[in-house]
Amino acid sequence: MIDIDDLCAGYGGEDIIREITFGAEKGEFIGIIGPNGSGKTTLLKAISRVLETSGGVVTLEGRALSDFGQKELARKMSVVPQETAMNFSYTVADIVMMGRFPYKERFAKEDAEDYRIVREAMEVTNVAHLADRAVTDISGGERQRVIIARALAQQPKVLLLDEATAHLDINHQVEILSIVRDLGDTVTKIGVFHDLNLAAEFCDRIVLMAEGRVRAIGTPAEVLTVEHLQNEYGITAMVQTNPVTGRPLIMPLSEGVPSDLQGARIHIISGGGTGAGLMYTLVAAGCTLSAGVLSPMDSDYAAALRLGIPCITVPAFAPITNAVSDAFETYLDEADAIILTAMPIGIGNLLNVHAVSGSRRSRLVLYQPPGEEFTDYTEAGDMSFLAPIRDAKCPVVSSRHGLYKAIRSLVKT
Amino acid sequence: MAEISRVRTVSIITFLIALLIGAFVLALSLGPTTVPFSEFIPDDLLGMLGTLVTGGDIAEFFPDQTSYLIVYSIRLPRVIAAVLVGAGLAAAGCAMQGLFRNSMADPYIIGTSSGGAFGAAFTIVFMGGLFLPVFAFFGAIGSTFLVYAIATRHGRAPVETLLLTGIAISMFFSSILSFLMYSAGNSLHQIVFWLMGGLWNVSWNDVWLGLLIPVCGILLIALARDLNILSLGEEDALHLGVNVEQFKRILLFLSSAVTAVAVSIAGSIGFIGLITPHVIRLIVGPDHRILFPASMLAGGLFLLTADTITRSFLGEMPVGVITSFVGAPFFIMLLRRRMQA
Repeated sequence: MIDIDDLCAGYGGEDIIREITFGAEKGEFIGIIGPNGSGKTTLLKAISRVLETSGGVVTLEGRALSDFGQKELARKMSVVPQETAMNFSYTVADIVMMGRFPYKERFAKEDAEDYRIVREAMEVTNVAHLADRAVTDISGGERQRVIIARALAQQPKVLLLDEATAHLDINHQVEILSIVRDLGDTVTKIGVFHDLNLAAEFCDRIVLMAEGRVRAIGTPAEVLTVEHLQNEYGITAMVQTNPVTGRPLIMPLSEGVPSDLQGARIHIISGGGTGAGLMYTLVAAGCTLSAGVLSPMDSDYAAALRLGIPCITVPAFAPITNAVSDAFETYLDEADAIILTAMPIGIGNLLNVHAVSGSRRSRLVLYQPPGEEFTDYTEAGDMSFLAPIRDAKCPVVSSRHGLYKAIRSLVKT
Repeated sequence: MAEISRVRTVSIITFLIALLIGAFVLALSLGPTTVPFSEFIPDDLLGMLGTLVTGGDIAEFFPDQTSYLIVYSIRLPRVIAAVLVGAGLAAAGCAMQGLFRNSMADPYIIGTSSGGAFGAAFTIVFMGGLFLPVFAFFGAIGSTFLVYAIATRHGRAPVETLLLTGIAISMFFSSILSFLMYSAGNSLHQIVFWLMGGLWNVSWNDVWLGLLIPVCGILLIALARDLNILSLGEEDALHLGVNVEQFKRILLFLSSAVTAVAVSIAGSIGFIGLITPHVIRLIVGPDHRILFPASMLAGGLFLLTADTITRSFLGEMPVGVITSFVGAPFFIMLLRRRMQA
């Protein structure tokens, strides 16, 4: 449908985007994401010919876009900008009718067909009831719907959206993007997105850009990964799956991250959700984490998975094999620090505690935040599993601050 | 709704045309000596027009030769010129307001009037005022071209750059103008009079030149739909299929030609180009297909009325004084009303 091949463009002779290559199928909704300055908008301007390209070619239905006349192009491609300044009080119907401009000869009057198309476009975007209102008197969300109606009146094959909902409230964002998504198979949609979750919800495929180049292309689940977010946006994020739509759901993590633990290798022995919070923070701090042994049913396991932390896992009630045990012990031996969180201990996870034996105890920190404590569900029932650890005088910390301090001193030695 | 607004538009245009014809006839009658209608509208009006078209002498149609001379040799060219200049300034104002997406823009915004004033002052000081309209015309149109050339890079002239360049060039020419006035000596009052703007020495030659105004005006009306779209912004216009740079060149050329003609006939008359499109937009809406013709009619009517008043009752005070004197408070009133809304 539309193919972008090795496209380069920029301002003042300097290329902002380089060697951009991707294509969109008929009816597809492609989202372009990337941090500020990654060239998203520049790419859209290059595709829409606002910006002259310095290399590469964009083809629409097999024909180079540069061959199109201005009006001819406007019949194939329409653009919804971030914001349209309205200085004159045209009516909504006037504005939408301007979408018919590329179809009209200079002195041709608008005919019944034009009025029908304009009416339909206004109905699709739900602004028909505003037809006679001045565009200067309606709300931002309504105005953006009017602009989309105008773009639809152009009857385009390709619709470009440049952060078309960035200035709107969440309800209008969802409303407008739903309208765009539901335009069907006749219109190919390419939109620049600021909001990753909106991109994940509405796009069929996502193009991730950074420093003017394409870094990843694929389905939202393929592109919106912890690694990509870390590498291109420099954020630590949690990527979950939206239980309703099955699309990725991203939550950036920002809370109190220690700055001097970068590179520390840490193994976390936890369970029942006692380690999840730690995992997020320590990943954000740049530590190399491992976790386990955990059951796949454990919420700590889910957290480790989302964060991309290697994790020893054993199905609940299944015996621990030698291979698993070896891998676990390797993690323990390679770690600068081992964190054991206060949690209920039963026969299923008693081995975790026993594995921290001998010299490993010199690298162990017990993390026992307020409200959490060890409970003994083993046959002995007397907390005897903790005795050797207590004897080894492992530090016991109850606050994050204390924990970081303990890790710091372990990393130094 | 579309039908209602069409009826409204047609009636507004008809009303303006009727008003203009009325003012036109009245203006021919009024003056230091009032000429009754019967003395300049012959009984055999059609016969006279027929003779006029075939190039015959029409003097014989009039009973009083003095009245005939006053009306047809002195007042008629002046009245026609007033209408043309007023219409031209309004059309150019309309075009500039649309281009700059700002209802505070006027035809002089890109240096046209200061360029014209420089041209006029130049010939007044150095050549005794010889070819004054020609110098004013080329000064006006030359400064616009200069602004456009300076503001263009890589074939593009963004409107913001045009606007700022226009301000800079205006200031530049104004400073030269001040220098010329400073060193003008005896001819200073001539420059000052020209700057105030007036139609007191208009001749038929000015009318022939002025006919360029309706020609350009019709071309501007033909471009009205493009200007509607450009008034949403340059990028939007591009996406809607307007060849923006080419269109801006044409628009600037036409409006600066119109302004230059107006300035060379009547000096730099203020406020008509600013206020007429502004007021008419409040009445007919922003669609340039209606705004252009309605503004031109209203601009013509405004200048004709102002000129008739000064000619008949104020002893030939420069008409620019009146247009600004009436225009400024009116404009402030509009501003206040808009602030309340």
